[in-house]
Amino acid sequence: MSVVDRAKAEGRTKLHEHEAFELLRRYSIPVPDYGVAKDEEEAVSLADKIGYPVAVKVISRQIVHKTDVGGVVLGIADRGGLVAACNKIRESVKARAPYAEVEGCLIQKMVPQGIELIIGAVYDDVFGHVVAFGLGGVLTELYRDVSMRLVPIEEEDAWEMLREVKAYRLLTGYRGTPPRDLHAVVDVIVKFSRLLSENPAIREADLNPVIALEEGKGAYVVDARFLLGGD
Amino acid sequence: MSSSQEDLAPLISPSSVALVGASPKQASVGYVILENLIDRFRGTAYFVNPKYDEVEIKGRQLKFYKSISEIPEPVDVVVIAVPAQVVPQVLEEAGKKGVKAAVIISSGFAEAGNKELEDELRALGRMHGVRVLGPNCLGVYNAFNGFDTVFLPAERAGRPPAGPLALISQSGAVAASIMDWAARRNIGLSIMVNYGNKADVGDVELLRYFERDERIKVITVYVEGFKYPGEARRFLDAAREVVKKKPIIAYKAGRGAAAQRAVRSHTAALAGSYEMYRGLFRQAGIIEAANLRDMFDMAKALATQPLPRGGRVLVLTDSGGMGIQAVDELEALGLEVPELPESIRRDLRGELLPFSALGNPVDVTGSATDQHYKVVLEALLPTAFFDMALVITLMQVPGLTQNLAEYLIDARRFRKPIVVVNFGGSEMVQSFTKSLEDAEIPTYPTPDRAARALWALYQYAKIRGVVRP
Repeated sequence: MSVVDRAKAEGRTKLHEHEAFELLRRYSIPVPDYGVAKDEEEAVSLADKIGYPVAVKVISRQIVHKTDVGGVVLGIADRGGLVAACNKIRESVKARAPYAEVEGCLIQKMVPQGIELIIGAVYDDVFGHVVAFGLGGVLTELYRDVSMRLVPIEEEDAWEMLREVKAYRLLTGYRGTPPRDLHAVVDVIVKFSRLLSENPAIREADLNPVIALEEGKGAYVVDARFLLGGD
Repeated sequence: MSSSQEDLAPLISPSSVALVGASPKQASVGYVILENLIDRFRGTAYFVNPKYDEVEIKGRQLKFYKSISEIPEPVDVVVIAVPAQVVPQVLEEAGKKGVKAAVIISSGFAEAGNKELEDELRALGRMHGVRVLGPNCLGVYNAFNGFDTVFLPAERAGRPPAGPLALISQSGAVAASIMDWAARRNIGLSIMVNYGNKADVGDVELLRYFERDERIKVITVYVEGFKYPGEARRFLDAAREVVKKKPIIAYKAGRGAAAQRAVRSHTAALAGSYEMYRGLFRQAGIIEAANLRDMFDMAKALATQPLPRGGRVLVLTDSGGMGIQAVDELEALGLEVPELPESIRRDLRGELLPFSALGNPVDVTGSATDQHYKVVLEALLPTAFFDMALVITLMQVPGLTQNLAEYLIDARRFRKPIVVVNFGGSEMVQSFTKSLEDAEIPTYPTPDRAARALWALYQYAKIRGVVRP
């Protein structure tokens, strides 16, 4: 059973983040190594396997915005830091979202610094799935600097989506910054389009951020959100 | 539906028409369409209205039939202008007679809350194999054969001459004003179709129809918003095919409003409906116009000019100021305005006035003669250095004559796009403009509009894949 079907069977309209990663992986969309830990012990052994630095994110169906309840700790360098982070998340969630049932934690390899992109999707009755591409951050919203295409999106369409946004120059190397792995970004868009056309229940999706590394080093979806609807 | 060309020919290019709701009462809808048909339709028209037998209109004795079934000959299309409640009955009768298409002018359907009545039309059309245009529409204007269901009198809403353009318009009022505007400017807008509520025939099939009509060189589309599930994708798939044969220019009205849906994600907040249409146009290879005037500025160039193989523009002017404006616009649109090669510059120096500027723009100055334009065009346009030309001819200067038009027309043999900027209102300017336009050289009153026209040509050249790598 796919994660989408499972979530729907459980009456959920949102995928857990580890489910979102599982879905992305099924379509060969690069995500950092991750695993789900039920307790601190599991967290430590997972992190040993994945390799530091890692991020920890709380998993709970009652929590919509993890950051708001202190459910996320980034850039953990070692075991000691991991144990402290787990404790901190537990305390913070208990205080700020006492109603939340914590199912565990997502341990995720930290992706090196790069340019943050947003690749998202909406479903519209008339248009079907539409994919949006833009740079992450508030300026994208302010200037509405996004490009959109209808699913299915072919490789050429995806290249045009990149070139169309004003912020494109930041990706090709601007004022001494290195050029980014554009092929990897195009690849994410094309695969994401396939994911959407094969999963019509998806109503909205945010891959935000997608981190574009330097040329040849890839692009990774670091955070993903899928909202489901009736079909 | 299968082969839409077959399906829509009786609707758009019929040889026989029955007008149901024809009326001898002037200023009524049924009268204006009747008048259109007797004045201009080059086919057979039948008039149906049980209230009349024979009436003299405009010096002609017209027979009125009681019903469609009474008409002795076959009929391609029935134009229906009767009250909404009676329309299904008329449509059924038309179907039984074997009529292939219906234009339903009448309003009072889904737009007035009567969705069931509209569903009934759709079902009846399907059952009897009648393609339905409308309801609540202006219908069809076809300058080629004079089929004209536009119920606005010709003396108020002009009818444009036959030519290379077609218009698909979601709005009837906008379509009528475009027709009037085009008529006054002698713009060859041959066919206009307004589908109103779009119960059956819509943009997708009309695109397909115009794709196959060899007389149509450019398709213009005025859209406010699609309405049916999956319609955008069907439009995209059709348009992608059509643009391999001829350009489509679209203008989307209603850009501000965000999509009407619950927004929970970051992407949804960014995804206004206009952005979706813009994405759709780009994905399909449709050229997007900034406004209606822009649409026809571009259409004029696309209908007449060859496609450029690159984006390098020669700007030739007798006014430095106008030349600079042209360069500003061209560069802002992503076109190149390269310098002249030194070798050619040296040759030109001997042929032009000493104070001419031999950059790009080439400024032949206010002391220019016709000959100067000829020399520059011949030296530069047929070379590998330029793909197209923007020529500014301010005819107010004393050295220029009507003969310049001949030189510019002659330059068409270089098979590169040429657009002309020609500003002013004197008789000489008007006749100069007319000579150029008659010879299919598009003219514009300002450099920015001419630059947009070249941009459109370059866009379409890229879409067609003819731009040199």
